[in-house]
Amino acid sequence: MSRKDKVIINKLLTGVPGLDEIMGGGLPEYSFNIIAGAPGCGKTTLAHQFVFANATAEKPALYFTVLGEPALKMLRYQQQYTFFDHAKVPGAIRFVNLNEVILEQDLDAVLREIIKQVEEINPGVVVVDSFRTVVRKANGVVGEMDLQGFVQRLALHLTSWQATTFLIGEYSDAEIRDNPVFTVADGIFWLHQIAERNSVVRKFQIMKLRGQASVPGLHTFRITEDGLQAFSRTLGLTKRRSKNVTSRRLSIGIPELDKMLGGGIPEGDSILVAGASGTGKSALATQFLAEGIRQGEAGIAAVFEERPTEYTARAGDFGLDLVTPQTNGKLNILYLRPLDLSVDETMQEILDAVQKIGAKRLVIDSLAGFEMALAPGFRTDFRESLYRMISALTGIGVTILSTVELEEAFTELPFSTYSISFLTDDIIRFRYVEIDGELRKVLVVIKMRGGNHSKDIREYEITSDGIVLIGQRLRGYQGLITGIPAQVYRPDEKVAPSPKPKARK
Amino acid sequence: MPTLVTSQTRDFTEQLIAHEAASDQPSKKGVPVAFLVCEKLRRPLTALAGAAGFYSLLLRALTLAKREAPGLGTLQVKADGELEDAGANGNNHDAEEGTFLVANLIALLFSFIGETLTLRLITDVWPDASFMSQGSTGNDSPLTTEGTEKHEPQG
Repeated sequence: MSRKDKVIINKLLTGVPGLDEIMGGGLPEYSFNIIAGAPGCGKTTLAHQFVFANATAEKPALYFTVLGEPALKMLRYQQQYTFFDHAKVPGAIRFVNLNEVILEQDLDAVLREIIKQVEEINPGVVVVDSFRTVVRKANGVVGEMDLQGFVQRLALHLTSWQATTFLIGEYSDAEIRDNPVFTVADGIFWLHQIAERNSVVRKFQIMKLRGQASVPGLHTFRITEDGLQAFSRTLGLTKRRSKNVTSRRLSIGIPELDKMLGGGIPEGDSILVAGASGTGKSALATQFLAEGIRQGEAGIAAVFEERPTEYTARAGDFGLDLVTPQTNGKLNILYLRPLDLSVDETMQEILDAVQKIGAKRLVIDSLAGFEMALAPGFRTDFRESLYRMISALTGIGVTILSTVELEEAFTELPFSTYSISFLTDDIIRFRYVEIDGELRKVLVVIKMRGGNHSKDIREYEITSDGIVLIGQRLRGYQGLITGIPAQVYRPDEKVAPSPKPKARK
Repeated sequence: MPTLVTSQTRDFTEQLIAHEAASDQPSKKGVPVAFLVCEKLRRPLTALAGAAGFYSLLLRALTLAKREAPGLGTLQVKADGELEDAGANGNNHDAEEGTFLVANLIALLFSFIGETLTLRLITDVWPDASFMSQGSTGNDSPLTTEGTEKHEPQG
C-alpha cells in the first residue's frame, strides 16, 4: 500500500501549549482516550482546555459529569482559567449531569443516556468526568465481561458518531494491566504529581497513543492561570534543522583570548568558563555578549544570580552598553530565579527567547545558580536536561557560554563540580595564583574540541575595560595550576612584572 | 445576614418575570409566574447540576427568600426540584414573593458560576428576551456593579 492509500488521521490541537509536540502533532480525531491520575493533578483542567480549544457551535462538546466535582463548582473554578470562554457555554459546550442515572440505574441505562445525548447534540468531543465513578459503580454489580462490553459499546458508538472522547479517572498505576478500559482506549494519558521536599513536581506521560508516534518519557507540566503548559523532553527541537557546520569563529570580545582559542569560539560550540568567585567569569560572559551585539548577533543572557538591572549596570562599568540592545531586540536578559522551576520549563523559556530574537549567542550565568533555581526534584535531572538543551541549541547553531563557579583548591585544577565537561566543546579555566605575595589571576584554555589552541597560562586583570590579558605566557614559575607556584630561576628570562590594574569605577 | 440579592439582580428578575408573564400559557393559569420561571430553569440546571443539585439550589434560594417573604413559608421543593405548596391557599402567592424566590436563585447562580455564565444559561431558556441583550450578557453587565463580594455564598 502506498502512502497515499493510507487514511489520513486528522490531528486536533489540544489547546495545551507544548502538548501537541509531545503527542506527535496533536490528538488523533475520533480517538477514545483516558486521562488518568491522582486527585488534583489537573485531569479536569486538561480536558477543559481541549474542549474549549475544539468545541464549536457546529461540533459542540458534551461534558458528562458523574458523581465527582459538582458541575456548578467545576464551572466556578474552571472559569478562573484564561482559556475559559464564556461565549461557548452553554452553546458549544454542554454539561450533562449523569448522577441520577448512575445512582439509580445500571450500566445499560448509563449507556442509553450517553447515546441519547450524543445523538441529540452530535458532539465533536465527549468527556465523561469521572468515568472511574461509572466503573466503580458497575464493579459492584456486574462482572468484568459486562464492564468490558459496556466500554466496548461506548467506544464503538462514540467513535461511530465521530466524537473524540476522553474518559477521566483517578486510577493507580497498578490498574492499567487489568482494567478493560485501558485495553479499549486508543490513548492513555497519565498525569503524575509528586511532592519532593518543599516542591511539587508535575509530570505528563503518554502511556499509549495509537496511530502516531508521540514523544516517550515523562514530560514536565505546570498549571498556571492559563491552565496546563507542557514541556517536552525534546524541548520541541526534534524536527528542527541540524546545525549548518560552519568554520566561522566568534570573537569572545578579547582579541588576545581569541588568539588563544585558535581564532575565537567555533560557531555552535558550547564553551564553559570555570573559576572561583571574583575571577571574572561574568565579566567575560558580558564581553562575549557585547561583542556579538557589536557584530549584529542577537544574544540572550540567562542570569540566575543577579537581577537584569544589576547585570546591565555591571556591564556599564566595563563600558559595555547592554541597555540599548535590550530596547532594539538584540538582547534579552532573562532572570530566572523562582525556586520551584522545572528544568524543562526553564529551558523552554530560554529556547523561546532564543527563537524570539533569533539569538546567536547565549550566556548561562551560572550553572550553579541555574541548579539552585530548580525545584529539588528536578536537580537530579539537571545534567541530563542541560545536555538536552545544549545539544538542542548548539544543534541549531547557537553558541553557548556557560559559567560555573568552583571552590578554589590549591592542590588540583578541577574544571567543573558538575562533571558536565563532557557536554562542553571548549573550556576556559580561571584561577587565582599567589605570586610574590599577591593574589593574581591566570587563565588557561583547557580544551577546544574544534582544533588546536594555545596551551599558555596567561595572567589577566579585570579592569574598567573588562578582562584584559597582561603580557605573554607566564614564565619563571612552576606549579601555576596549583595556585601556589614556585619561582624557577632562568637567567635568560625575565620574571613577569606585577600588573597595574586600573581602578574599577 | 445580608441578602445576596442586589437591586440590579432584583430589577433583572422583575424583567424576567414580566417577560415570562407576557408569554401566553393558558395551561399554567393560576400558577405564579415566578414558579413558572423556576420550572423553566429546572431543566437546564438539572442537566448541569443533576436533580439533586437543582433541588439543593432551589431549596437554598427558597430558604433565603422566606426571610424576606414569610408568605413563602408553606412552599416546599420536591426531590425532583418541582415547587409544591403545602398551604391551604395553594399557589396563592403575590408576585413580589415569587420575585424574591427567583431573585435569590439567580443571585445564588451568580455567586457560584458568575454572572456571565448564569446569564448565558438564562438566555438559552429565554432566547427572545429582549432585555437580556441590553449589555447584560457581556462582561460589563450592570448586574455586577455592586461587586462580587455580595454574591459570595453566605453561611
